[in-house]
Amino acid sequence: MSNLEQIQTDFQAFLIDETKGAAFKSRIIDDAKVGAAKRLGIYYDAYRFRIIEALATVYPKLHVVLGNDLFDKTARSYIDQNPSTYRNMRWMGGNMQAHLQQTLPQYPIAAEMAAFEWGLSLAFDAEDASILTLTDLAEVPLETWADLKFVFHPSLHLLPLQWNAVQIWNALDKEETPPAIAKTNEPCLIWRIGIDLHSGLNSHFRSLEAAEFSAIQLAISGASFGVLCEQLQDNLSEEQATIQAAQYVSTWLNDGLITRI
Amino acid sequence: MTQTNNSQSLTSQPKLANLGFGLGLRTEHYQEILNNKPAIDWLELLSENYMVAGGKPLHFLDKICENYPVVMHGVSLSIGSTSTIDKDYLRDLRHLADRVQPAWISDHLCWTGVHGQNMHDLLPLPYTEETAKHVAERIGIVQDYLGRKILLENVSSYASYVDSTMTEWEFISLICEQADCLLLLDVNNIYVSSYNHQFDAKAFIDGVPQNRVQQIHLAGHHNHGDYIIDTHDTPVIDPVWDLYEYAISRLGQVSTMIERDANIPPLAELVQELDIARKIAEKVQAYNPSAVRLPRHIK
Ligand SMILES: [Fe+2]
Repeated sequence: MSNLEQIQTDFQAFLIDETKGAAFKSRIIDDAKVGAAKRLGIYYDAYRFRIIEALATVYPKLHVVLGNDLFDKTARSYIDQNPSTYRNMRWMGGNMQAHLQQTLPQYPIAAEMAAFEWGLSLAFDAEDASILTLTDLAEVPLETWADLKFVFHPSLHLLPLQWNAVQIWNALDKEETPPAIAKTNEPCLIWRIGIDLHSGLNSHFRSLEAAEFSAIQLAISGASFGVLCEQLQDNLSEEQATIQAAQYVSTWLNDGLITRI
Repeated sequence: MTQTNNSQSLTSQPKLANLGFGLGLRTEHYQEILNNKPAIDWLELLSENYMVAGGKPLHFLDKICENYPVVMHGVSLSIGSTSTIDKDYLRDLRHLADRVQPAWISDHLCWTGVHGQNMHDLLPLPYTEETAKHVAERIGIVQDYLGRKILLENVSSYASYVDSTMTEWEFISLICEQADCLLLLDVNNIYVSSYNHQFDAKAFIDGVPQNRVQQIHLAGHHNHGDYIIDTHDTPVIDPVWDLYEYAISRLGQVSTMIERDANIPPLAELVQELDIARKIAEKVQAYNPSAVRLPRHIK
């Protein structure tokens, strides 16, 4: 190992875990003005502050829900367990849901809030795609509908949720008093509609019923309109199932979720 | 002395065109820049923020590039690292450059991590001949890949190595000579490091290869008494403006911009702060006409 490689390996090991920095300290000039320990401490603290700030930017409402102290503690343990391999800190937070499931199992709303906010951030700069309109679909001959398959917007993100994280997020976003934590078993869709120049958020979301959630999951996996109808016949008559499937597709079109067929 | 064409040749005279007075592009200001077309000569974008698939960042960037000359500034090249150069990063950097056609591309003279990890900090290098050679070789690889000279910026530092055998400006000079690259001189970083390591900031400016300084950064910082932390969340302080005046009286007209990364004020405030730089440039021109030239208008 070259001298430079040794310095960098030791410096990095110290930043990740200061107990591994004792030997490295001797590589830093120890002056009377500040001192080597304090100088290295600046780097040690900055590494954490910077990432905590980046995590707080991606997880603003999780920050509110946990409060400053618990968010800080959570972020620090997250950083210790998830050293970045990313070029941009913005991508560092991807394991937060799993981290919270592990560290705060008694508080499951936290992990769900993280999953929701991560979904919003993914939708924000996901790939662009043009949207299919009802008029485009009207040109499709009726007899070919059964084989129709749908391609969904790259920003679309499906989130199965058990708790009312979305409602709490919404209230906090409007600076209203959030509702009490409750189990709702309401899944959620997150996506981006084109470029909304006037919205700071740019990501859209809505809660949906379990039946629609299953239907869209099926459609995303590549199932045709015909298969969708068949699936719905578990609970509905053939005619009702077809009407329901058509209603779903029309809703997805209106939401801007389908990009092509 | 000032290059009049924006040639990408690696062998011609060192400098590229002078762009005038610019600002760092921040998301908070997208809309205002597009609506009001403020009097900013050019904008510096943070490369990593636009290495994304789509959405608002790229949408606004494309629009802004139609109206302003831009330069690209990165933080994750890790030119001083002993790990292999991240080829995916270089590919994405070149891809972004193809999209925005920047006047130039810059990053920092530092390392950000080893063994595939990123500490997201601009970590200092030991100032040795071994390090200079290592860094210069890697700059060569990057410049060949991008087909253009890159700019490297002096960073603020808080610690110095027992291993160093030369001053930071000697180290920078050695690298520039070996790599034939350009310099982004951060005057605030010089001030911060000179305070933290007790060296003469003017000696730094006198010591770097002046004909390679293509761009100047200015920013604010936090003084903690014993040391200064480079924070980019406050206005530029007077001693840094004085140092800027000293720099351009030596270097001549150099593309200058203010960096603000946190506590971001309304755009008008930064445009006003930029006027201080313009006034200083005018003042230097009055007493030293050969040093300062007004920027060519670049569309
Ligand atoms: Fe800078």
